[in-house]
Amino acid sequence: MSLLELLRLSLSRLRTHRLRAALTMLGVIIGVASVVALVGVGQGTTSNITSRLAGLGTNLLTISPTGGGGGTSTLTLDDVAAIGKLPAIGGVAPEISSNMTVSAGTKNTTTTVVGTTPAYPMVRAYDIWQGSFLTDPSVDHDLRVAVLGATTASTLGLGESDIGTQISVGGLPFRVIGILQAKGGTGFQDPDDQVLVPIGTVEKYFVGGDTVRTIGVTVSEADQMTATSTAITALLRDRHDLAATTASDFNVFNQTQLLAAASSISATLTLLLGGIASISLIVGGIGIMNIMLVSVRERTREIGIRKAIGARGRDILAQFLVEALTLSLLGGLIGIVLGLVVSAGIGQLAGWGFVFNPITIVAAVLFSLAVGVIFGVWPARQAARLDPITALRYE
Amino acid sequence: MDGAIISLEHVSRTYDMGRMEVPALADVSLQVMPGEFVAIVGPSGSGKTTMMNILGCLDRPTSGDYRLAGSPVADLDDDGLAKLRSRSIGFVFQSYNLLPRTTALDNVATPLLYQGVSRGERATRAKAALERLGMGDRLDHEPTELSGGQQQRVAVARALVTEPALILADEPTGNLDSRSGADVMALLHELNASGRTIVLITHDPEIAATAGRQVHLRDGRIVA
Repeated sequence: MSLLELLRLSLSRLRTHRLRAALTMLGVIIGVASVVALVGVGQGTTSNITSRLAGLGTNLLTISPTGGGGGTSTLTLDDVAAIGKLPAIGGVAPEISSNMTVSAGTKNTTTTVVGTTPAYPMVRAYDIWQGSFLTDPSVDHDLRVAVLGATTASTLGLGESDIGTQISVGGLPFRVIGILQAKGGTGFQDPDDQVLVPIGTVEKYFVGGDTVRTIGVTVSEADQMTATSTAITALLRDRHDLAATTASDFNVFNQTQLLAAASSISATLTLLLGGIASISLIVGGIGIMNIMLVSVRERTREIGIRKAIGARGRDILAQFLVEALTLSLLGGLIGIVLGLVVSAGIGQLAGWGFVFNPITIVAAVLFSLAVGVIFGVWPARQAARLDPITALRYE
Repeated sequence: MDGAIISLEHVSRTYDMGRMEVPALADVSLQVMPGEFVAIVGPSGSGKTTMMNILGCLDRPTSGDYRLAGSPVADLDDDGLAKLRSRSIGFVFQSYNLLPRTTALDNVATPLLYQGVSRGERATRAKAALERLGMGDRLDHEPTELSGGQQQRVAVARALVTEPALILADEPTGNLDSRSGADVMALLHELNASGRTIVLITHDPEIAATAGRQVHLRDGRIVA
């Protein structure tokens, strides 16, 4: 019997037992859908972390005062200058930030205003889209110039022709000298929603004092990260006159390393979730086996008839095996579609879009095929081995 | 005897019931020539069913030689028996044994499916067989939508569709009222008249009396 004939036979059988077929398939559908969805979400998370990793800037160390945003910072501009003199430093960019209202014409928005130095784009991996970044003279003279993040610029309705426009930051007039290239990062904080101004300007007009919130440092060589981090810690402890027993009043934070770890954790988690989900696929397979065994019992007489009118054992075997395979494959395909829809939905909500991985699909198809074969063979063999005489007399 | 369609030579069949062996057929020899209408008659327990199973290649003799259309059955494996059944034998059962939830047309076409006949030809031949038996207007009916007599007609059509050398009918009228039973018997006689070999198994002497030859079984032996 050809595969087509077998398929036709099993489809007509499934049609006459729609509810039973649907319920049996449901096990496989749920199994495959959860594997596809969970792996999809896991891979979305991983790729999201990876892309953020790339957007952070290479070999970035971040120094911030202990106690988070609330406490008083002990980091000063002199600390920044001292760090800049250490070996293997690519660039140092201090940051002071404050949330303020920024307005251009009739449009206004509340955003983060960051005071920093010309090293900032290099340290934080930004590119200039229009105009220029802060220059040394403007920083030295605390000029009221501003560079806008891409999101802020579009919120304020400013584009390429608006370099030189006057805007108001915290009630004071500033001149726009540049707009940054969008990073398009995702997550909780939009890296493109900020206004960058000279650090001295922020201290002079808005914050006061000469402490900084954060110091971003790029290390010139990746293998110098740990050594540099240690050197910075030693330098700052010394500058802050801390006794050997006192805890540091700052943290040196290797964000790259942290995210790399997070990415590998997320990959492991994906595998784990996929593994757990495949257990439900196995349960679905057992459902198929169960229904096929019941079916062999119920159809004993039918098997006897078929054998009497010329079916060989292998014809019966093929018929039952193809029936199990049809159930598992059909369930698998529906499950794939459902899983993709769910993972696309979650991706949309979480903001990393739709991660489509053909390998997952191929694996899911093969897995459901395997489920059909593994759990279908035994019932099918039982059917094929029935003795026609006994089967014909079976009531 | 040369040219016999069925040739049983000293055939015995014993069932192994654990402690003892029960003989169901003992030293039976029988020849059926092409075109004959033979009734195998006997009370229950006489070995009729065993005879039917052996003639129908559903079972093998314990000893003795069975040749169907000249070829020995003993050497065949299960697949070989299935092939022989498919090619040479058409069954008509007491309880019709149609495939449930399957239309009359598909029921009649199924033996052809196992012969590897194409879908289109299957439908044509099955339809022709059903029309020949006056069931042309019931092609799409499932067994539950047909009366007993109609179901048996479909079963006869199924037995005919492969053009087998032999039609084996096991109590074909057993489940039917007397009128439908007479119909089916008339049908079998008609088929016999057109040249088919028919072996009928029955316990009913009246039915058996209509056959061209009667073979009486008692306690696993041919008595007359």
